[in-house]
Amino acid sequence: MKSAMNLRSRFVWRVIRVANGEFRLRIHYHKAGRLRWLSHLEVLHALERAVRRAGLAYAVTQGFSPHMKVAFGPALPVGTAGDNEYYDVWLTRYTEASEVLSSLRDSTPHDLAPLGAKYVGDSEPSLGAAITIAVYRVTVAGEESTSSQVRMALESLVGLGSLTVQRKGKDKVFDLARSLPKEACVSEKDGRSEVEIVVRMGPEGSLRPEVLVSQALSHASLDATVSHTTRTDTFIETTEGNWARPV
Amino acid sequence: MTPADLWPRIEPLLNRVERPSRYVDREWGACHSGDAEYRAVLVYPDTYEIGQANQAIAILYAILNTLPDVAAERAYLPWADMSALMREAAIPLFSLESCAPLGGFDLVGITLPYELSYSNVLETLDLADIPLRAVDRGEGDPLVIGGGPCAFNPEPVAAFFDAILIGEGEEALVEIVAAHRSAKARGASRGETLRQLSQVAGVYVPSLYVERRADGIFAGVEAIGGAPTVVVKRVVADFDALEPPTCGVVPFMDVVHDRFGIEVLRGCTRGCRFCQAGMVYRPVRERTPDSIMRAAVAGLACTGYDEISLTSLSTTDHSQLEEVLRRLSRRLAGSGVSVSLPSLRVDSFGVEMARLVAGGGKKSGLTFAPEAGTQRMRDVVNKNVSEDDLLGAVQRAFEAGWRRVKLYFMIGLPTETDSDVVGIGELVTRVLAVAKAATPPNARGSVRIAVSVSTFIPKAHTPFQWEPQIPLAEVRRRQTLLRESMPRKGVELHWHDSDVSFLEGVMARGGREIADVIETAWRAGARFDAWTECFSLQTWLDALANNGVDPSAVANRERLVDEPLPWDHLSAGLDRGFLVAERERALVATVTPDCSFEGCTGCEVCDELAVEIRLAGDSRG
Repeated sequence: MKSAMNLRSRFVWRVIRVANGEFRLRIHYHKAGRLRWLSHLEVLHALERAVRRAGLAYAVTQGFSPHMKVAFGPALPVGTAGDNEYYDVWLTRYTEASEVLSSLRDSTPHDLAPLGAKYVGDSEPSLGAAITIAVYRVTVAGEESTSSQVRMALESLVGLGSLTVQRKGKDKVFDLARSLPKEACVSEKDGRSEVEIVVRMGPEGSLRPEVLVSQALSHASLDATVSHTTRTDTFIETTEGNWARPV
Repeated sequence: MTPADLWPRIEPLLNRVERPSRYVDREWGACHSGDAEYRAVLVYPDTYEIGQANQAIAILYAILNTLPDVAAERAYLPWADMSALMREAAIPLFSLESCAPLGGFDLVGITLPYELSYSNVLETLDLADIPLRAVDRGEGDPLVIGGGPCAFNPEPVAAFFDAILIGEGEEALVEIVAAHRSAKARGASRGETLRQLSQVAGVYVPSLYVERRADGIFAGVEAIGGAPTVVVKRVVADFDALEPPTCGVVPFMDVVHDRFGIEVLRGCTRGCRFCQAGMVYRPVRERTPDSIMRAAVAGLACTGYDEISLTSLSTTDHSQLEEVLRRLSRRLAGSGVSVSLPSLRVDSFGVEMARLVAGGGKKSGLTFAPEAGTQRMRDVVNKNVSEDDLLGAVQRAFEAGWRRVKLYFMIGLPTETDSDVVGIGELVTRVLAVAKAATPPNARGSVRIAVSVSTFIPKAHTPFQWEPQIPLAEVRRRQTLLRESMPRKGVELHWHDSDVSFLEGVMARGGREIADVIETAWRAGARFDAWTECFSLQTWLDALANNGVDPSAVANRERLVDEPLPWDHLSAGLDRGFLVAERERALVATVTPDCSFEGCTGCEVCDELAVEIRLAGDSRG
């Protein structure tokens, strides 16, 4: 009985998608190791090429310059790693997600490896618009980088209420209460401080956590610098204010 | 021995430099062979994005990495921001794959893609802590071997190389590696090793050749120590049997020619008299449509590229091109993968091929090279193209929906008069009129003719090798004349920098006296000369003056036909008598047909090198 139900639900699920002829597959991947030095555009090209090498039946956009139908989550800057990143690719043929995952694994550079794959409904909002919460780990190294020093520096900067960042010659002011939905958490590991920062992203630009930490360090005149930044998680904020993973 | 891994010292520099992806390696298709017994590194003396797509390096990288106990890696010249940080931290130039210092390799192969890369060759060696001059290298230093297009007159850089390969490398490099390995196994000295290498066909060991002078005037180069009197270029007889690399390195960075390239033919026998490539890469050898299709399918599957390019000196001359393009478009339909052709043959067949490639999709622009503005001038250079061919091609292109074409011209060709220069402007005027007439009235505003004009530079091993290059002041006068004769509206006019062309002319036909000039200029800061923002003619003029070299005597002087030339000890297989005869025909504007289709023209390459023309079909297009 149970297996019959499973079969039925899967059947219905497949028919829904066959109706518009395309299957939206969400790939969960990481940006790690040396490849944290890639730009967003470089990651995007590399993963598109991996999809082609995997021999997936990807959908192609109509129009003058046809290209693969694929959409990425929020960009990661050059030098920033990502533990839980996502992209959607539209397929023209249904293939078990686990099968797709296995061929993608074989065709993707190790440091951009896919970690999971799951079909999602076509009506769901795009990753770029939906993901508004990001968790970062910023590693601080230097002579004056104990967790208490870094914590005090951050508290003092955040206490100012706003942060002005120069971007392309223009001043951009971030309201820290809005940009930082959670208090930063500082811990110590192997003689370095690790700062966990949750950032709320918006269409008007997002606060870069390493910039926040760097400014806090210089504001407190500490002899320390940011050595690594990793986006450890990304979330979709629901209308009820809950945070949910994209898959 | 495990080579030193410099990565832990390099990574901390990366957030202080532009485009760190130049330095990270780990691309799809990169070979990590570990600590092989024999290690070679192939260097392109410019930045990663310029050099990564170089097909010669891709071919040789693939071949070397299939040899047992041999590892081949890649290296590029870091941009100035990175090299400054590396020098500050005493980090030597490193290979990408194992991040190992270049000085620890057995062989350092440096390609010579253009004359303006010579200062970068010195920057490469210096950054690698390898003595600049071959004569200063010791037993522990790697063998530094050159090759590539500029190897046909390598004299300006000969002092910096232990050996230089003339011609095609697929077979020769394997022999070079074998000779070096056996010399190492015997414990041979550096001198013995070089003598051994000089016995490999196509290998030029500069230290085994001495310059002769009579009354201070260059009197030729003479072989010593049993080296061959003349080094004859290498050529692969059965080109179709060579498997082209299909699983090459796929870069992360946006590089030039970022697509899967397959070489569909090698050589060109159209016989344009200014063209060094057309002379030195003879004879024509085509890949068959089956081989091309096999490589295309395998290459796209292995690399994941969304574009495939059919490369060669003249792809629209492939005798089976139409079949290849039809098969490719059938195969790629609906995949979003596009095909690209380099410049097109100047006639309506060229446009038909471009239409096959574009299908209903994007028509980004077509490129034609009529080279000259008047029929007389085109006959002088043996560009067998008529004005009707060009206008017919343009009409066809604009009727088919293209709105932009690019035209290549040269000024300063032998026998050129002011009316030939003005003729370029007049021809462009007619091209523009035809383009507009073939375009629907509501779209005529978007019609663009891009005109790119370079200065003719006489090159070694061509019928024009004895000709003077026109002096700088004269280049500028003719550029003004041309600008005034060119329609303003609808035309985008681009020049090659005349200062750059002048220096290129000095390098192209200079002899060994230029080595000191290059070193002086490099010490004064010259590097990345091919980058407009980095080039300074004054640095080079100072270096020339400091070394007592009169550049106009190299670039702007007409040579006597029986005068010894700095590259006379190197042969591309061409008969000198053929070059002389071609020059004489040029001066009276007489054309010579293409021997691939209309009978032998007597260049002697086939006899001299025991090779033959190999076409995939029996007709052109």
